[in-house]
Order: sequence, then C-alpha cells, then structure tokens
Amino acid sequence: MKPLRRLLAARRLDELAPAQKFVVYAPLLAWTAIVLFPLYWVIVTSLKEPIDVADGPYYIPFVDFRPSLHAWKYIFFDLGRDTLRPYLNSVIVSSAATLVAVLIGAMAAYGLARMEYRPSVGSVLLFVAAIALAALMSFWGGVDWRLALLAGLAIFAIALRMLGRRFRRRLANHDILFWVISQRILPPVVTAIPIYLMFKELGLLDTHSALIITYATVNLPIVVWLMYDFFCAVPRELEESAQIDGASRLRIFFDVALALVRPGLVATSLLVLILCWNEYLLALFLSTVEAQTMPLLVAAQNATRGPQWWYMSVLIIIMILPVIALTLLLQRFITKGLLVGAIKG
Amino acid sequence: MKPSSLGDVFDRQARAAFVLPSVLIILAFSIFPLLVSAYLSLVRFQIAPGGYTLHFVGWSNYRKLLFGSEQFHFLGTFGEVGALEWTLIGAAALWLLAAFVRYLRGGAWSLAGLAGRLLATAGLLAVAVLCAYTTGGAGRLGSFTVTLFYVTAGVAAQFLIGLGLAYLCTLPVRGRWFFRMVFFLPLMVTPVGIAYMFRMIADTTVGPLAPVWNAVGLRQISWAADPWLARIVVVIGDTWQWVPFMFIVLLAALESQPRDQIEAAQLDGAGGWRIFRDITWPSIAPVAASVVLIRLIEAFKIVDLPNVLTNGGPGIATESMTLHSFIAWRTLDLGGSAAVAYMLFFASTICCVSFFHFVVRAARRAQGA
Amino acid sequence: MKTDILQRALVAAAAAALSLCAAPSSAKEFDGVTVNVMTFTGPQIAEPLQRRAPDFEKLTGAKINVITVPFSDLYQKLLTDWAAGTNSVDAAVFAPQWMVDYVTGGYLEELTARVAKDRALKEDDVAPFFRDFSQKYSGKTYLIALDGDFHMVYYRTDVLKKLGRKPPQTWDEYLEIAKAAHNKDWNGDGKPDFGSCISKKRNAQAYWWITSISAAYIQSQGTAQGAFFDPRDLKPLTNNEAFATALRFYKDSTQYGPPNEINLDVGDTRKLFISGQCALTLDWGDIGTLAIDPTESKVKDKVGAVILPGATRVLDRDTGKLVGCDRKRCPYAVHGINHAPFAAYGGWSGGINAHANPKVKDAAYAFFSYMSQPAQSNVDVTLGKTGFNPYRISQFKDMSVWTRAGMSVEAAKNYLGAIEASLNSPNMVLDLRIPQNQRYQQVVLDTALARFLAGELDVAQTMQTIESGWNELSNELGKDKQLAAYRASIGAK
Repeated sequence: MKPLRRLLAARRLDELAPAQKFVVYAPLLAWTAIVLFPLYWVIVTSLKEPIDVADGPYYIPFVDFRPSLHAWKYIFFDLGRDTLRPYLNSVIVSSAATLVAVLIGAMAAYGLARMEYRPSVGSVLLFVAAIALAALMSFWGGVDWRLALLAGLAIFAIALRMLGRRFRRRLANHDILFWVISQRILPPVVTAIPIYLMFKELGLLDTHSALIITYATVNLPIVVWLMYDFFCAVPRELEESAQIDGASRLRIFFDVALALVRPGLVATSLLVLILCWNEYLLALFLSTVEAQTMPLLVAAQNATRGPQWWYMSVLIIIMILPVIALTLLLQRFITKGLLVGAIKG
Repeated sequence: MKPSSLGDVFDRQARAAFVLPSVLIILAFSIFPLLVSAYLSLVRFQIAPGGYTLHFVGWSNYRKLLFGSEQFHFLGTFGEVGALEWTLIGAAALWLLAAFVRYLRGGAWSLAGLAGRLLATAGLLAVAVLCAYTTGGAGRLGSFTVTLFYVTAGVAAQFLIGLGLAYLCTLPVRGRWFFRMVFFLPLMVTPVGIAYMFRMIADTTVGPLAPVWNAVGLRQISWAADPWLARIVVVIGDTWQWVPFMFIVLLAALESQPRDQIEAAQLDGAGGWRIFRDITWPSIAPVAASVVLIRLIEAFKIVDLPNVLTNGGPGIATESMTLHSFIAWRTLDLGGSAAVAYMLFFASTICCVSFFHFVVRAARRAQGA
Repeated sequence: MKTDILQRALVAAAAAALSLCAAPSSAKEFDGVTVNVMTFTGPQIAEPLQRRAPDFEKLTGAKINVITVPFSDLYQKLLTDWAAGTNSVDAAVFAPQWMVDYVTGGYLEELTARVAKDRALKEDDVAPFFRDFSQKYSGKTYLIALDGDFHMVYYRTDVLKKLGRKPPQTWDEYLEIAKAAHNKDWNGDGKPDFGSCISKKRNAQAYWWITSISAAYIQSQGTAQGAFFDPRDLKPLTNNEAFATALRFYKDSTQYGPPNEINLDVGDTRKLFISGQCALTLDWGDIGTLAIDPTESKVKDKVGAVILPGATRVLDRDTGKLVGCDRKRCPYAVHGINHAPFAAYGGWSGGINAHANPKVKDAAYAFFSYMSQPAQSNVDVTLGKTGFNPYRISQFKDMSVWTRAGMSVEAAKNYLGAIEASLNSPNMVLDLRIPQNQRYQQVVLDTALARFLAGELDVAQTMQTIESGWNELSNELGKDKQLAAYRASIGAK
C-alpha cells in the first residue's frame, strides 16, 4: 500500500521509482495507441489502391505497398463541387446551430441555477393539452397550422384564467431540468417523420434553416444540462455585487456569469458543435440536394459495390481536421479559463 | 448608470425570459412528434391509390412484439431457467423488497414516490426474469435484452476507463496536453465513419489485426459468427467512441476538486485510496452521475455500430432496439417501427428516471449536505 | 507585357460575347426545363447520367440535375418525397422491385403510350424479359430499363482447368467444385483460398441467393409459374422438399467459404473474388466488367461466367416432394437440367413522378429514352465503373465493344454467352413484386435465413418460420389483394 500512497501523493512524477512511473504511463500510452491506431489505419487506407485493401493487410506506405493519391484526387477533383457543397453546408449548419443552442440553452441553465421556478402541474398539463389540440387540428383537421397554434394558445389562456387558482401541486427546478434532458430519450427514428412533415408544412425542406433549427433543438437539452452544473459550481458573490452596482440581469448574465463559466461554455460548445457536425439521420430526412451535409457523403460511399474504403477514409480525414484545429485553438482558451476559475475560486 | 429600457423590461420578466425560449422550443419540437409517433404505433401503414392509408389496429403492433410473432425478435427466445438463476432472482427480489420497506418506514413517502418505486421495482424484476429466461438453455436474446447489454456493458466500461484516464491525467505526468488532445480525438469522428472504421479494423481476413488473429490459431473462426463475440465487438467500438466524452467531463470535475482539503488530508497522512473515497469521489459524484445519465440516454439509441458492423447478425444477435425499429421502418412497417421505438422510449424513460431519482439527485443531495 | 495579356483577354471576351449572340437561337424543345433525377451516390448509376446530361442538354435544352442519396436510403427517400406530396424529385433511377409500391400509391407515370410511339428507343432490341416483365406492372409500362440485373455463377477458369472440371451445371456440381478448390492457394500469396464465396450478410443484398438456388427446384414451367408463391392460392413455396434442399445447400456452401462469410456483403465477396481468393462466386453481371479493371482485379482473363446451375429434380406442388424432370415437368430443361435464372432486383430503371409538371415529365422521358438508346447504352454497359449490365440483344451480339473495353475475345464470348443463356430463358424468375415485398423478403425471409445460418433454427423450423411469417403478412395486408398483385406481376393466367 505504501508505494501506491507515495504515488498518489507525489507532486512530481520525477520523484517516482521506474515501476511506479510504469503504472502511470503504461495505461496512458496504451490508450493512446488504441485511439491512434484506427486513425492511422484510416490515413493509410486513404492512400491505398482498391486492390491493396482487398488483398491486405498492408501497413506502411512505400514499404509494403505503393501509396496512391487516387482517392484524394477523386474526392477533391472528380467530385469537386459535390464535396465542397456538403462541406460548406456542414460548416454553416453546425456552427449556426451551436450558436443558437448554446445561447438559448445557457440562458435557461442560468435561470435554473440561479432562480426558483414553481410552475403548477395543472397549468403545464393545460399548456401541453392546448398545444396537442393545435397539433391535432392542423394534422388531422387540416386547419392552417398558424391558425391552429393561435387557437390553442387562446384556449390555454382562457382555461388558465378559469382554472389557474385551483392548481396546487407545483414543480421545482429539478423537475424542469429532468424534463429537459428527457427530451433526448425519444430515438430519432420516430421523430424523423413528424419533423419532416413539420418542415414540409413550413416550406423549409432542404434548407439550412431546417437543419439549424432541428439541431439546435435536439442539442438544447445537453447544453442546459451541462451548463447547469457549471453555473452551480461558480460562486454567486460576483453576480450579487454586480447586482448591487445596479447592473441589469441580462448584463450580469452576459458580462459576469458567462465569463465565469467560460471554460464550461467552450467545452459545451465544442461538444454540441461536434454532435451537429456528425449528425446523420435527421440530415438524411431534411435535406435533398442543397442542404446535404458531410455524414451523408460518408455513408454514401457504401453502395452496390461494397464500401469504398479509400474514399470513405479521405472523407473521414477531411471531416476530422477542422475539428482538431478548432479544439487545438480552444484548448488554450479552456486552460486559461480553468486557471482563472481556479484563482477566483 | 441608466439601464436601458429594454433591460428593464427584461429584468421584470427575467425569470420567464431566461427559461421560456428553451422550454417553448423543446415543447414545440416534442409534442407533435410524440403524438404522431404514438398514433403511428397504433396503425398499419399501407400504400394505397392516391397516397397511403393508416388503418387503426389498436394494440396489435405491441401485442405482436410482446406475445406474438415478433416476440423472439424483441424479447428473445425463451429457454429453461436453472436453479442458480432463480436463486439470483430471488435474492434481487428480496433486496428490492428490503429497500421498499426501508422507504415506507422512512415515513416521508408520497403517492408519486411510491408509484415510481413500484414501477422501477417491477421493471427491474421483469428484466431480471427475462434475462434468466433468454440466456438459459436454448434461450436467445432479443433486441430488447441486447440493447440492455449494450447499455450496461458499454456505459460501465466507458465510465471506468474514462475515470481512470482522467485521474491519470490529473497527475503531473509529462505530455498531459498531448494525452488530453489524443484522448479527445474519437469523439470528433462521425459515428457512421467510426462504424466503418471498426469494420475495417475488425476484419479477420484483410484487416490489420488479421495476422495476430491467425497467429493465435483463430483463422477458421470469425467473431462475426459468434453471438457474444459479435456483441462484444460492438461494445468495444462504442467504448472507443464514447470514452472521450466521459473523460473530458470527469477531467473537468477532477480538476475542480478541493485542493486544500486534499492537501490537509495528505498532511494527516491519509492514503491515496482514502483521499479518493472521502474527498475526490464525493466532490465529483454529481458530475459523474450526470454524465452517466446522459450516456445512458444516448446508449439506448445505439444503432450505427451494429448496423454497419454486422447488420444485426449473426441471426439477430447484435440487433439493438433502434436498429430493430429502423429495419421495420425501412421496410415500410411504420406501425411496427413506431411500436418498437415507443417500447424503447418506455424502457429508457423508466431506466433514466430511476437513475435520476436514485443516483443523480442522491449525489447532488449528498454534496449539498 | 501586361497590357498585352489584358488586350488579349478583352478580345477573347468580346469574341465570346459575339459568338454567344451569334449562336443560332433556334428554340429547343425543352429550353428552360430542369429535371431533378434522383439515384444513389457513387459512380455506378449516377456517373453515366451525369456524364451524358450535358450532351442531352445540348440536344434538347433540358437541364438534368442528378441528385444522389446514400444507396441504403434511396427507397425511403423517394417514398417520403412522393407520398408526403413534397414532389421535389421529378424522376428517379431505382430498382424495379420497388415499382409496385410506387405504382400502388399512384406516384409513377404510366409510360405505355410514350414507349409505343418512341422509335429511337428500339424497344424490340430490349431482351424480352425486361420488355415484358421488368418494365411492366399489370401489363402497363412504368419504367425504362437502363441495366440488366440477374444472378450468374462466376468461376475461375484457371482453377477449373487445374481441377479438370467443367463449369457447374447443377448445384450439386457447384458444391463438389467448391469442396475440391477449398483451402488451396490459388493466387500465389501463400495463404489458402476459398472454394466458394457467397455473400450471406443479414440486412444486406444477400437474401436473394436463396431464391436463385431454390428456384431451380421450384420453378420449371416458365416465369408465370412463380417461385415464391403458388399463384393459385398464394401458398408460400417455402415449406417443401425443394426449399429444404436449397437451405441445406446454403449451409453446406458455408463450409467452403471464408470463415466470416456470414458477415460478407456482396461488395465484400466481389472484392475477394477479383483479388483471386475465391474459386466460385454468385453475383450479378458486375464481376464481368470489374474483373477487367486493372486497378482492382488480379484475375483478368481468368474469369468465366455461367447461367445459374439447375436441378434434375423439381417440386411437385401438390405433394411438396421433389420428382425427376421429364419433358412435361421441365419443358425448358437443357440436357435434363432445369435452370431458373433469377432476375433479382431487376435492373436499375428510370421512372417518372406522376405529379411532376407535364413539360418536365416529357423531358424526363426523353432523357431516359436517350440513355437507353443503343448509341449510348451499348457503350455504358461495357464500362466497369458503371453498374450498368447488358440488357439489349445488340449488346451481346456485337463483340467489338467488349474487346475495346479490354476483354479478350474468349472472355467476352464466355461472359456474354452466360448472359444470353439467362436472358433467353423462358423460365426466368421474376423477383417478388407485391405490395410491401420488402417485409416479405428483407424482414421475414432474411431474418429467418440469418437465424438459420447462426444455428438458431434448423431446416424445418426455418421453413416453418418463413411460411407462417409470409402467411401472417398476407393476411394482414389482405390476401386477395396480394394474390391478385402476385398473379399480375408474373403474368399468371
């Protein structure tokens, strides 16, 4: 037990005996290998002729097979515009969706972390029922959806007036929080058709907006959930002193609170960005030509001739590169933020 | 300083203004799909002149899954159950009963709490019995039990590996930034891409590991032909993909743990394990519980890996519920597809709500106290 | 120097502008019309469409916009677009097996009159099977064939020569050859190779092989006899001695294949075969052109093709037993062997959205007709990168296009001979084309086969499962309707 204790108590690993160093470095290096090897394989595969893949395995270019740039040439020149368009779409859609989701989601998380909400169960149910009614009217009744929505809201307002005082049971913040995250439970396979119908009604199919709205919505829960934890972890004092100085809520939120959770904010944005960047199923439904995104192009490399490993590898590589660059860029940001947080806290 | 009038308006409504945008957007996007898919699960979709028809069939789609011709597919094929399994189930039942009694005698019970606990208990027991029946003898897992296996094995492996790596990265090792960066990489690869990548890597004839596979004398054996090996390969792929998520969140949590307390404990001569148990673990428990919950929710939806690696084979051995639903949907059985998806929705809701109540909130309370 | 370039550029621009103005502005038939044609991503089908679109535009003025989606999602994507009334897709190139769903929903334009008027299409040149069955539903034409798809057996000529065997004529011979060739090194890489590679992956393109095998035992009286159901009463033909024989073959062939055969899609077996690791394989027409592609193939001029092997005993539908072939039972038998070549999937064909703008429909038809005309088609089917396989009689009469594409005369004769033998067979098997056929094949049949191969079910249980599964589906969807659709599709009298 004693060597282990020394290990865990050590401030600098230089002090450690080689055996202990091994205990620390072996798993780290092993996992590094596990992570990097598949990626190495993808890079190597992108340089292979089809026959080298089918006849493999060959490991090292120039040593056991002759590398060829045919796949890169195909993706960049033969496909050319057909690669560029989905690529730009992916960039536009995922960055815009991330921006929207993080902004709205962080506000909600801040509200839930700092203020108390006690909506009554009855009024929530009433609201859901009203919206459901509106949905029914437009989907099965053939009423224009704007009209139906207005009618639903009107019914809600009237009913709330009449019944509002009788509702006793109330929900608390953690109920709202759980409800938010629970919205990710429903698998996209089921939501895809209704969402398709919704956007058809709005005339937004195959546009960036449809994808941006959808991605922002499906990722909102994750933003709220993660940011809630981050807001809870930072002390309230700074905000309170700002409030005493007479700053408005909104100003406090943007200038003080967001600055305090910056590392968390950056990490969350990065995560959401990656999730949007890689989403497949909803993109398949909502886009046809103009708004097609990169994951569709990757999946499409498996057709009647079997997976075109070489093309797929090139696409995977060019899809990871910008994310790596962004992470490297933000890595410094995250560190700085963490340091600031540590000093303040 | 004169605050702008817009700010004033906002301030008066601040409470609603912060939360309502999110709540309204999510509501708008959840109610309609939920309703439509609930309705779809009760109908039979058929193409007919002029478009399509939806013929209302009641519970028949669900009945088929639970008792009818699709039972083998969804729940599994039942085998015989041995004495050992029954003992295990009995022990589990006793333990749950004890927890129940403790809850009732605790005094602070409510109707909703009781109902929730009953549902969770019943669900857990049903799953235990189902697992016993489908693993024993000639039993075969169905997509429901296979999904549960993916969820438990995958999330457990990801959590343990992620926590271990995050812990090692908080030590003052050389090249920490390198490790952090590298460990984060798999999250950046598009899931479809990961699935195809693993299909390449796991190929035992032309994949990179083929020489190793042949050297240990497995040339004539393929993991893809063995149900459990195939499932494990799926879990390995899933773990590769999702360890980074656990890693990064747990790393952030570990780095914000109270250093002064640790140093004080070290001065007191506390051992590494005790520090971890008494200080580190309680401080990261809420975050740990949160990430596990998020992963649980996502893990129930696993589809890309089994779909690309084995397409659900051998037999139906690796078919997850989402894949089951997806295949039905691809072949126009929209009703059956929605029914599977709704079953997934129920199972995952019960599981996640229970987890939230019994683990996440418990962890938060413990920290708050 | 600089001014010089500028001047030249200006002159060039002026000349270009002039030539634009001076170009004969004779209005073309489809000026300003844009047709959105959907198919799947990848060169197989999209490439020829895209390559020929500019020429077509020059001829007619219609702009062809080729839209591609992943192969696995094409069916759903088209259905969603047409069923939901979005109609952003004007025409599509898809597998004719899906036609029944699209026709039932009224989404597809009937083309009978247009085809009848179209001289340039040379419809007489199209092989009778595609003309009379593949393009039609209930006697009406809805599709223009662009590709011929049916199963054949491919073998390595060098391997068979060394083994001293002839190409397999029956499924039993196929197994014998596979057994003899298995576990020997045929491509000289030091690793033992495989006797037979058949793609058996679940949820892939594998479930058709069982029909290719069983049909030889089940269908002997011509296409109208049907190989899936008894056209008299829609009784599934999957629980009898014929199907049992096919199932046993299916499992036995696994012994002579790669250990992970159960997880191989047809793309994987193709790669194995053309990299020289298999002695025999089952495939569509694709291997013929792929094998001559130097970047992929190690077996150039070592590949032979032959019509799907047959059987000497066929099913008696009343007793469910196998009985010996005679002239009455097997009228189309060759040397006493009944062959039933299977047109699985049916060959990629073009169809037009019934709800498209009339002018767009005309332009779409003109484009498909242009693609299918011998001048274009007879070149496209010889190119390895396209997925187009021969479907016109002129395509296997004229040897020169094939030798120009890189085939030796002998290989071309062999390949085209197998195609001709299959296409000329009056006993060709039409793929299942009844409403929701995907549920019959991709769900019930495919799942049962996968479980059978995985050892979850034995032969009897598998047959039982398929039969009851199909019956359940037929009852659910309306047995009379399904029977009528089945009879209409195979032209049963």
